[in-house]
Amino acid sequence: MPGGVKRDYRGNKKDLPVRDAPRNEYTSMFEGFRDELDKHHDRREKIVKVSRDVTALSKKIIFSLQRVRKLNQPLPDNIVKENEERMSEIKSMLATIVDDVSGIRRYRYNLMCLEEFVEAISFAYYLEHQRLITPETMQSTLGDVNIPFTANDYVYGLFDLTGEMMRFATTVTALTGSIPTGVAAGAEDVQTGADAPRNILGDLQDISSMLQLMQLNDRTYFKKKDVMIEQVRKVERVGYGVTVRGNERPKGWMPDMNEDAGHHDDGSAE
Amino acid sequence: MADNTNTMIDPKIFQYLQAHAEEQTEVGDKLTQIITGFNRHISTAQGHLSRIHATPLQKLGPLLSQVESEGIKPAIESIGELNKFASNYPYYKYNFRWRSAVQNLIYVMLITAWLGGLSSESKPGELGRLLRIEEIGEILKVPVNLEDRDAFHITIEEYILALTDLTDELSRLAMNSVTMGNIDLTVRISQFIKDLFAGFQLLNLKNDIVRKRIDAVKYHVKKVEDVIYDLSLRNLIPKAAEQV
Repeated sequence: MPGGVKRDYRGNKKDLPVRDAPRNEYTSMFEGFRDELDKHHDRREKIVKVSRDVTALSKKIIFSLQRVRKLNQPLPDNIVKENEERMSEIKSMLATIVDDVSGIRRYRYNLMCLEEFVEAISFAYYLEHQRLITPETMQSTLGDVNIPFTANDYVYGLFDLTGEMMRFATTVTALTGSIPTGVAAGAEDVQTGADAPRNILGDLQDISSMLQLMQLNDRTYFKKKDVMIEQVRKVERVGYGVTVRGNERPKGWMPDMNEDAGHHDDGSAE
Repeated sequence: MADNTNTMIDPKIFQYLQAHAEEQTEVGDKLTQIITGFNRHISTAQGHLSRIHATPLQKLGPLLSQVESEGIKPAIESIGELNKFASNYPYYKYNFRWRSAVQNLIYVMLITAWLGGLSSESKPGELGRLLRIEEIGEILKVPVNLEDRDAFHITIEEYILALTDLTDELSRLAMNSVTMGNIDLTVRISQFIKDLFAGFQLLNLKNDIVRKRIDAVKYHVKKVEDVIYDLSLRNLIPKAAEQV
């Protein structure tokens, strides 16, 4: 039986017992393969660890942001400060694997954390500017950490953003009695004939239709698309409810957030 | 502060997403087209190769030439096309599309060469010859185990998986060779599979497809050992062959 790597309780490799099987014509070939495969496995393990930590930090950023109550305003100082610390931690962790995911290796290893990171950053950007972050701006948040986001990191991060927008819309609407809306347009906008301030429901509908129009052809896309459409519908119901009977509800009344929590992939709402 | 323009989405973002989706669709369609032809050539080769179990070693020559001319040669052209096209895109983004086809081709080449085919001017065909991964790369005219640049290549995993296909098929041939009266060949296969098995044991494996396939090699060894046991019990193994 070919053995796996023996590890101690901390996950460090234990030295393998020396095998003294007789050498044959192919021994050195397999030794070469072993070295290559070991390099690959070690790299993957290192990346998985970093990815897990970056995912956890990104989720914490998102939790903080869900405590924001206003749209299109500078974020509260304490939240900005907390999240800046998390960002610099994320950057220093990603910096340790730049070489492991560079060049041909960028697509070789699964860097799931970047999707989560895009979700966190695009949510922060949306809350502050009420706009969708561009891929270039997203890339610039990593500073000199040279790990390019792939198009899929960006796209799937945006799909997850819609979930955060839904949660934010639902909570803020329940607490304030009106759906989150941007601040009134300035004089400049009046001159250009821009419309009244947008609200989050319209923004969600915009993102949703854009992501449906792009039409990727893979399973993740179809799955995330279905979840997103359900989220948009939910905020539509919130918008309707607040329009028709908004004032009848006591302030602070919270809808049951669990009613279709099963639709969200990670359940991080609670 | 409100932004100057009252739109949620910069049109550049939509363009970016569309370009991404279009590339994925176009690359996917083109790969399907190349890989369909590729698989057909491999099936042709495998179809011919299925006759090795009913063809005595002395008569294998014409069969192997047929495998080479009708299967391997056109498959090499497919690989060339794949190499040229796929090298324009990140290798690991799309390699799941052709992995099994490439692995099957490597296997076809390995068994053809082991049976004495795929001779070249520098390397005459010879029974029991194992093509190394570098030789596979030379014949296919593509790099192997590429790390320093992003282009099409043959991976070590593909080669290792093809080796397990080889031990599987040879373990079957070991038995059929007895039926065809060539016990020398059975003994030879037995030694070869044992050598490869010893090699596989040097690898540190994770719980993945490579491990799963290599775990099966012990059954190939056992299958051949059972045949050898049956033969030695009845004193059917020639003395000379025993020493091979």
